[in-house]
Amino acid sequence: MLSQFIWWGSIALEVLLLVRGSREKLAFRYPVFYSYISFVLVQDIFFFAVYRNTQINATVYWTAEFLSVMFGCAVVFEVYRVALLSYPGTARMARSVLALVFALALAKGIANAWGDHGWWLAVNTREIERVLRTMQAAAILGLFSLFLLYAIPFAKNLRGILLGYGSFVAVRVISLQFVPERQRDFWAYAYSASYLLALGIWVAHLWAYSESPVPKPATARLENDYQRLAAATRRRLEAARGQVVKAVRS
Amino acid sequence: MIGVPTALLIGFLLLLLLLLAARGMAAARDLPSGSDTPLLDALEFAPCPPEFASRIFSPEDSKFVSTTKSPQLAKLFRSERKIVALLWVQQTSTAIQRTMREHVQIARASEDLEFATEVKLLLLYAELMLICGVLFVAIQSAGPLWLRGLAIYADAHSQRLAQVEQSFKAATAARELHGAGVS
Repeated sequence: MLSQFIWWGSIALEVLLLVRGSREKLAFRYPVFYSYISFVLVQDIFFFAVYRNTQINATVYWTAEFLSVMFGCAVVFEVYRVALLSYPGTARMARSVLALVFALALAKGIANAWGDHGWWLAVNTREIERVLRTMQAAAILGLFSLFLLYAIPFAKNLRGILLGYGSFVAVRVISLQFVPERQRDFWAYAYSASYLLALGIWVAHLWAYSESPVPKPATARLENDYQRLAAATRRRLEAARGQVVKAVRS
Repeated sequence: MIGVPTALLIGFLLLLLLLLAARGMAAARDLPSGSDTPLLDALEFAPCPPEFASRIFSPEDSKFVSTTKSPQLAKLFRSERKIVALLWVQQTSTAIQRTMREHVQIARASEDLEFATEVKLLLLYAELMLICGVLFVAIQSAGPLWLRGLAIYADAHSQRLAQVEQSFKAATAARELHGAGVS
């Protein structure tokens, strides 16, 4: 009963989101995100139709899940591209942070494979999704931390996409650790309901088009001389440290 | 491949960050984007004169108050000094935050931004914020005078440690020289 509600609720919210997106012309501004929603809608309708007659083939289900994860990565990339269009400095930092996250994950994967030669025999589709979702969560975490650190202003629409998708991935990562293989318990429902929560956030934030905050032109002198800016900041921070130490020890 | 504790940590951290951001983003959006930030060099950093700051942790005033042999006055002095010290830490912390905020508001638009430089500045900033946090807790729990005693104690120990390290290095170098001479 609850799973039926989640299924129907998801389909209804996806349709609503797509209708509002095309009316408000948001689908042209965030094409990857709306393609992702369309893909999930088609996937939901297909599985709903098939599920009523027969059990879904595991290969079909996990292929769709894998495609959904890949689409999700493209959504994160779209957020990065749109949000940091006017902030090349933060965009450069974001690229370095994302490269670091993927390099760390790759190094860990190689180290594990080196230590356990039969690891690929034990890996199943659920494990693959768990790893992919965790990497996705780490990438969003890094990106989001940079957005907050550099105080990147967000339009309501973009904020909604990031908050919705971020919370969906976070709940998915947590519940994937506890979801049992076959039976349905709290974590199995939490796993499914995380998407419903994300859809709620998206509908609220993408109901109408919201103007993006336009950054004012930066101070020309300092923008062109990053080294000078960094040196000045370091000088001020070191002066602060010197003052604190001197005050306490005097 | 990725352990359960790591995955859970990442999941919970992301959720926490999103919850915090959902509350704070609307306020951050209203902040000025930094175009009218003045030149950093022109700004005065210190929130209060250094003589005043060193006076907060100095034992002179405490010694003077103790000569009056009035417990009420001593108690009042300790309480007032604690408030002043906490205010100074807060002011210092605010000034550090302002420095970093001004930096990121300009750096975010810079084409020449360097990852390594930014990471170093971030680490320095984190260290300073940690020092301020530790100072705040220490003053709150034990008072500014105790903190000064602790700083002097730590200073003396670090100097002694440096001396030991120096003599150890000298001894090792002498042994290596001796070994090279024998062979």
